[in-house]
Formats: sequence, structure tokens, C-alpha cells
Amino acid sequence: MNIVLLGMNHRTAPLALREHYAVDDPGPPLAKLVDRDVVAEAVLLSTCNRVEALVWTARPEVARLRLRSFFERELAQGAPPDAGVALGESLYELTGGEAVRHLFRVAASIDSMVLGEPQILGQVKDAYRAAVEAGACGSILTRLYQHAFATAKRVRNETRIAERPVSVARVAAELAAEIFETLEDKAALLVGAGDMIELALETMREAGLSRVRIANRTRARAESLASRFDGTAHGLDELPGLLGTSDVVLTCIGGHAPILAREHVERALRGRPLRPLLVLDLGVPRNVDPSVDELDGVYLHDVDDLGRVAEANAEERRREKILAEAIVLEECQRFDGWLAALAAVPTIRDLRDRAERIRAREVERAAGRLEAAGVPREALDALTRSLVNKLLHAPVARLRAQEDREQGLATLEAARALFALDGDEADEDAAEDGEA
Amino acid sequence: MSADLHALTAAIYLTASVLATLGLALRRAAFSRTAVAVLAAGAVVHAIAFFESPAFALPPRNAGLPGAADLAAWLGTVVFLGLVRRARLHALAVLVAPAAFLGVFVGSFALDPASLAAREQAPAWAHAHVLLASAGFALLGVAGAAGLLYLAQHRSLKRKTRLGQRALLPPLEALDRVNAFTVSVGFLLLSLALVTGVLWTHATTGALWPRSPHANAALVAWAIYAALVGARFLARQGAAWSARSAAAGFAFLVLAVAGVGVWR
Repeated sequence: MNIVLLGMNHRTAPLALREHYAVDDPGPPLAKLVDRDVVAEAVLLSTCNRVEALVWTARPEVARLRLRSFFERELAQGAPPDAGVALGESLYELTGGEAVRHLFRVAASIDSMVLGEPQILGQVKDAYRAAVEAGACGSILTRLYQHAFATAKRVRNETRIAERPVSVARVAAELAAEIFETLEDKAALLVGAGDMIELALETMREAGLSRVRIANRTRARAESLASRFDGTAHGLDELPGLLGTSDVVLTCIGGHAPILAREHVERALRGRPLRPLLVLDLGVPRNVDPSVDELDGVYLHDVDDLGRVAEANAEERRREKILAEAIVLEECQRFDGWLAALAAVPTIRDLRDRAERIRAREVERAAGRLEAAGVPREALDALTRSLVNKLLHAPVARLRAQEDREQGLATLEAARALFALDGDEADEDAAEDGEA
Repeated sequence: MSADLHALTAAIYLTASVLATLGLALRRAAFSRTAVAVLAAGAVVHAIAFFESPAFALPPRNAGLPGAADLAAWLGTVVFLGLVRRARLHALAVLVAPAAFLGVFVGSFALDPASLAAREQAPAWAHAHVLLASAGFALLGVAGAAGLLYLAQHRSLKRKTRLGQRALLPPLEALDRVNAFTVSVGFLLLSLALVTGVLWTHATTGALWPRSPHANAALVAWAIYAALVGARFLARQGAAWSARSAAAGFAFLVLAVAGVGVWR
């Protein structure tokens, strides 16, 4: 039995190709993939950055072919006729320990486009749940995925890989959290209505910002954005009035002259209660006069300030990646040990069966004499069972406790040879009778 | 028994100080949160020590500085624990915990039998004065600590260093709110302490003003705080200047109340 993984991700396939293989509901395709002969268990992960199928199979070589066919026939949706060639070049195939390590890295967000991003773990959990609901996930993959979730948790707790924000919008939200206790009762003024403003607004909304006013040269564009974020739209001529009632000002608008001059902000500060004003200038060229930062109670940050922080945080995440990889390797070894122990089950069963056969035969032989001497049969049975159990306890425990797969397989082989578990039953018994 | 509890309190406050310092140094919010929990445990042991000891029995019989410092340490810790429940202020423990330890340490000098006997004779106004002054001192101490952290955070934001390190220091807004609350209530208590001090002097000597360096320095400290409160609430002083004022005002208060008392 082995684990096989086939998939594509943002590094191996362009979005134009990935989007044809993305799956909304993994249940139906999984039901077609799993059977009794080749694929015993399967999980299908589909996110915007990757599509991967992971299976537990008794026949790895056949499973590989089955998975390729699965991508080509079941997952391809509206793919162009020549997509097959691109698909062949974009798919990666991993087996055994490599597949396990890949899954752990994906769940721990080491393999993500943005290192340490938190969404991927939830997506892996969703994929696992969908497989369980589709009846495609059994005890092996359940154990594998639980181990993957635990690994991701360890990486998150023991490293700083996900601690600091790496996008300018998130840095801006974190910055707001250093100034304000909460954004729920704060008013934001956004100057501009481009993509950057929209992204920053989405992030601020997630952080709890409630009141939003959007000012733009083109009022229609401001109105469109305001309607999406439940805000109000304004023209640039209203800026001085809006400034006085704002706590967060975010600007990203074209033009070479600053939209907010020092005098504007000074005038606004005079007419408002004493509370801090956070100004985030994401415009290039800058939209806010830099001398505004000299005013008491005003905290001005431009796109370079925020970008520097985002880059420093990304660098810290890259450093933490080494530690995260070490944790993943350690957990892979543990899972490997569990698989090795699982492989020991038939050997342990054979060993116990053989010992029981010998015990029963010897009891049968001695029963007549001992019963004549007044020893009850029950006592003889109890005594011999106890002896067998005690003799087998140490070897069985040793077989179960293998942590390294290679070493575990070698130990199993040695155990089978030492206890003659692979020979013909009649021959073994005859040999034992001869020895006796 | 009380001396043991007192020593235990000091040890717990010291542990909280170390944890809070580690929290800031290693940028681990968990350490700061643990420090607050340890500080809370210290406050409970401290309260038990009060009830166990004749030296610290409430209302306070102790008119001396060591006992007042001890009481102020406990009150300051309790005020901080009350505030931390309402806002993200855990990092403030880095200043509150060492101050509490220092207060308990100074308070240990109040345990000698001669001091205890002298305090039994103190009039009722003395008890009220010590209680109010200790509470005012504690609140203004928290205000000073909040002011210092405000300045650290303000400086970091203005210099654009260490940005985006959420939970390392409390948000400016929370620190300013703590500052406004503790300065206003602390000033009120300090004013009442001054009035009860005058009544105590009048009850024992018949004079209206003791003319001691301690009393004169305390009056100057009160006047400074009156100016600070006026600037803050009447003249719309900015938050950064209020923080500077709170930190400087408390430094002067320590000098006035403790320094003059020690070096006279």
C-alpha cells in the first residue's frame, strides 16, 4: 500500500490552465475515483492556487495512470483541445514520504504563494471534510490529514511564519491597531477609488471599520465603490469638511500636487475632538504633504513606509521557513513510524496465531497426564496462555514501536524469519515435533 | 505569617516584572498576558497579607511612608487589573509590576515593632490621609506609566520604526484613555489627601500648615497636577503632551512624597 499525489499549482501551471481544473464540489469526482481495486481512499484539494488529488492505493503504478486519466477526463471543464499537452507538463507526481511531506508543507502554508498565509489550512480541512462526506476517506487518510492539521498547528505555534503581515493593506490595518483600540466606532475617509483603495478598504472592513466615506474626482466611481461597502460618496471639494470628522484617512489618487496640504489638516484638527488621526498615503506621487507628519496627534505613513514593513515581514517569514521545514520533516518521520507500525499488524497477528497453535497442541499432548495427576484443564490453559503472552509481549511491543519506516521493515523481515512465519504450516509443525 | 506573605507578594510581583519585560523584549504577547495573571495572583496574596497583619490592617494605621508605599502598590495593581479587563493594556504590566514590587519592598520597612507602636497613636485624620494619598499616588503612578508607554509608542510611530507589531504595546487610544481617567481621579484623591493632611496637622499641633519639606513639596506637586489637569481638560492639550506631563508629574510626586521624606 502506498500514498500517491498528483496535482498542479501556481508554480507549475498558469492560472489560465488551473482554472479549467478547479472543482467547486469534490464529492462527485471523488466518488468516481475511489474503488476497491486501485484507489482505496482519496482526497481532492482545489484552491485558486492548486488542484491536487491524494490517494491511498494498493497498486501505486496503476493509481498513477488512474489519476492522470482522472485529471484529463473528470476534472477538465471547458479545457481547450490542446490543454492535454500543457496539463502533462504542469502535473507533478509524488509518492510515499514525498507525498506526505508535500501535504504537510501545503497545510502548514510553506508551499503557498504568500508564505504563511492562513487560508490554506481551512481549505485543506474543507477538502478532507468533503472527502469524508463523499465516503472517500478511510482510516489511513484520516490519520494522515489529522497529522497534517497537527503539523500546521505546530508550525503556527512554534514559528513566526504567520505572525506579521506581508501585504501593504494588512500592514496598514495592523498600524491602525497600534493607534486605535477598535475600528468599530471610527470613521474612515478614502480619497480615490482605484484597486489599491478597494483592497485596503476590504482589509479595514475585516478589521472592523464601520463608517466609510469615499471621495474621488469622478463621483460615479466613488458612488459605485461606496454602494459596495455601505459608505457615502463625495467629491474632492468636500475633503476639508470630511477631514474634521475622520479618524483614518487613506489616499491613493493620481496627480502631482498633494491633495492634502498641511493647512488643510491643521484646520481640521482645530475643529475636532482630541484624538489621533492616522493618514495612510498610498499614492505615487504622494497625495499628502509630508510635513503633515510633524503635527501633534497625526501619524502619516506613505507607501514606502508600509512597503518597507511588508518586505521586512516577508523576510522574517522566509527565515522562519527553515524552522517550519524542520518541524514538517520531524512530523513526516512520525507519520512514517505510524505507517511502519501499521505494516507490523499482519506479522503480529501471524506471530500470535503461531504461538497459539503451538500452545494448544502442547496442552493437548500434556493434558492426559496432568489431568490424571489432578491438575485441572482450566489451570493448564491459564498457565500456558500467560506464558505465551509474557514471552510475546516484548517482541510485539518492539514491532509496534518502530519510528523509522526502513528500520521497521527490516525488523519485520527479521521477525518473520526468526519465528518462521512465512514457512508451510505443516512443515513447521513437523520440524517442531522433530526438535521435541 | 504576614511577613512571609509579604515576602511572597514581593516574589510574585518580581516574577510578573520579569515576565512582562520578557514579553516586550521577545515580542511575545503571551508573556505579557501571563504577567498580568501573575500580577493578579500577587494582588490576592497582597490583600491576604493586609488582613493578616496588624501593620497593614485596614483602615490603615500606618502614617509612615513605607506603609503608604505598600498600600499604594496594592491599590495601583488593583486599578491596573481593573483597566486591563477593558482594553488591550497587558504591556503596561512592564511598568506596573516593578512599581508594585518596589512598593512592597519599601513597605517591608514598616514591619518593625517600634514603627507599629508609634502608629497605634496616630489620629483618625492620619488614617484618612494615608489611605487617600496612597490611592492618589497609585492612580497617578498608573497615569505616569501609561504616559511613558504612550511616548514610546508615539515615538515608534513617528519614527516609523518597528511598525506593524501588533500587541507589542497597547494602542495609543487606550493609553490616552487610561491617562485621562487616572490623572483626573488621582488628582481628586491627591486633593482630598492634602485636605486631610491639613486637618491632621491641625488636630495634632493646632497649626494649619505643617511647614515640613514633605508638606511643602506635596503642595507644589498638587499645584503641578492642578495645572496638568487644567491644561488637559480646559486648554485642549494634545495626547502626547498629556503623556509627557503625566510622566513628569509623577516623577516630581515621587520626589516630593518619597524623596523629601527619605532625605530630610
